[in-house]
Amino acid sequence: MTTLSRVASRSVSYVTLVVIAIVGIFPIGYLFLLSTKRRIDIGEVPPSLKIEWSVVVENYKEVLFDRSYVSSTINTLIITSIVVVLSLVIGTPAAYSLSRLKVKGSERISTTILSLRFMPPVAVAVPILLSMRFLHVANTRIGLIIPYVAFSLPLVIWILIGFFDEIPTEIDEAAEIDGANKWRTLLQVLLPLVRPGIVVAGIFAAIFIWNEFLIGMYVIDSEALKTVPIADAGLISAQRPIDWNVAATVGVVTLIPLLIGSMAIQKHIVQGITAGAVK
Amino acid sequence: MGNYKEILSDKVFWSSILVTGVMVGVALIVEVVAGVSLAIFFGQKLRGSKFVRAILITPMILNPVVVGLMWRALLNPQWGLFNWFIGVFGVDNPPIWLSDPKWTLWTLIFVDVWQWTPFIFVVVFARYQALPMDVFESARVDGASPLKIIRYITLPLVSSAVVFAAIFRGIDSFRTFDLVYGLTFGGPGRSTTTLSFYSFENGFVYYRYGFASALSYIMVIMATIGFSVLLKWIPVRRNH
Repeated sequence: MTTLSRVASRSVSYVTLVVIAIVGIFPIGYLFLLSTKRRIDIGEVPPSLKIEWSVVVENYKEVLFDRSYVSSTINTLIITSIVVVLSLVIGTPAAYSLSRLKVKGSERISTTILSLRFMPPVAVAVPILLSMRFLHVANTRIGLIIPYVAFSLPLVIWILIGFFDEIPTEIDEAAEIDGANKWRTLLQVLLPLVRPGIVVAGIFAAIFIWNEFLIGMYVIDSEALKTVPIADAGLISAQRPIDWNVAATVGVVTLIPLLIGSMAIQKHIVQGITAGAVK
Repeated sequence: MGNYKEILSDKVFWSSILVTGVMVGVALIVEVVAGVSLAIFFGQKLRGSKFVRAILITPMILNPVVVGLMWRALLNPQWGLFNWFIGVFGVDNPPIWLSDPKWTLWTLIFVDVWQWTPFIFVVVFARYQALPMDVFESARVDGASPLKIIRYITLPLVSSAVVFAAIFRGIDSFRTFDLVYGLTFGGPGRSTTTLSFYSFENGFVYYRYGFASALSYIMVIMATIGFSVLLKWIPVRRNH
């Protein structure tokens, strides 16, 4: 390739990169901007970029404290951590065995697990509430954690099966020759190799919880135990006229913990990838 | 049984099947093509691409209800920034995206694509990064053109991840309703009432649990049939 055409194709790549960034960030930036406006200033086109801090404080105070988003956020963080850890602890060995052990009908089992995902949440919300009542955990965190783990597992298991399938079985065999049993092979040899998969699976489990509100609306009654998405859904109903500044603030508050989380995790993704590449 | 009879003679049910089919089909195709292209695009290590990657993943982590709301603001016919933005590029009389039944379904698909292309991207990109780099190196040394490398090496190697991501995305867009809930609430008229939204509406707005559950079971049956047909055609797990 000549230098000129290389420069040209590089520039095209960078322009594409910038366009991708704009398409991704523009709507979210708008959300941030709306959350700094007074109700009456929403109609301004294009919106002024001047930010009045007193308005910002007012909007966020209303959402964080009057609508108790602080406690909802803390609550969601607790539930998310527990669910992610549980799903990974259960899902990783499950994916390992479905990928590696020659269990009879493992193909069938893995398709059945996947098919659990077809259940529309609408169909299972009431049965889940009844089961949680039966277990005496309705309207508690445990009552949310159990169904959330159940809903996360199919995706976690399937992501990890994919990653285990990619690892050549020679690696297992080599570990076995070195005298490692199956648990040690899994924990010390394979686990580092599927780390990018574990990170991705964990992220998806976390995202699921930050989006789920239907089952939550049923299982949780008390204000104090509501997760952020449950509170969001209650706030935003299409039939009522919307206070756009408050709604935008709610959106930003919902988004920030996830943004911070995904930034923190990005680093691990990169680490995981390089660890996998070095081998 | 009465519920099922009622469903089958219900006009909204049939229109929602059409809406769901168009939405899942079109959105999925666009998302897969865009997501895979993005994964390959980010494979060339450009400066700043890590940062843009973080931005790109953001829509996916947003709550769909919030996303729907956000786009409702952006597409507002009076003060939405989107119309102003395309106005800068000379589009003067934009449609009323969320009130004109001719456009609402396409708007819904557009927002779905905006939010969920990153999902396909992340799954495919993770697999892409886990591939042994020496395969690409040796192909390059052998003088294969970038397009040939993509066609004959990259795509076959990531195909299982693509299929996996597409199936999950397809299932999810078939059964979720939260974006519709936030963006259009099924309207105007029935132009964006998907099956899952219709089921949600019956259960949670009109409290017709029997009708809603019957609808859900029909959805499960449809999805299971669709999925087993897919599995026959496409090997999801290639080692088997």
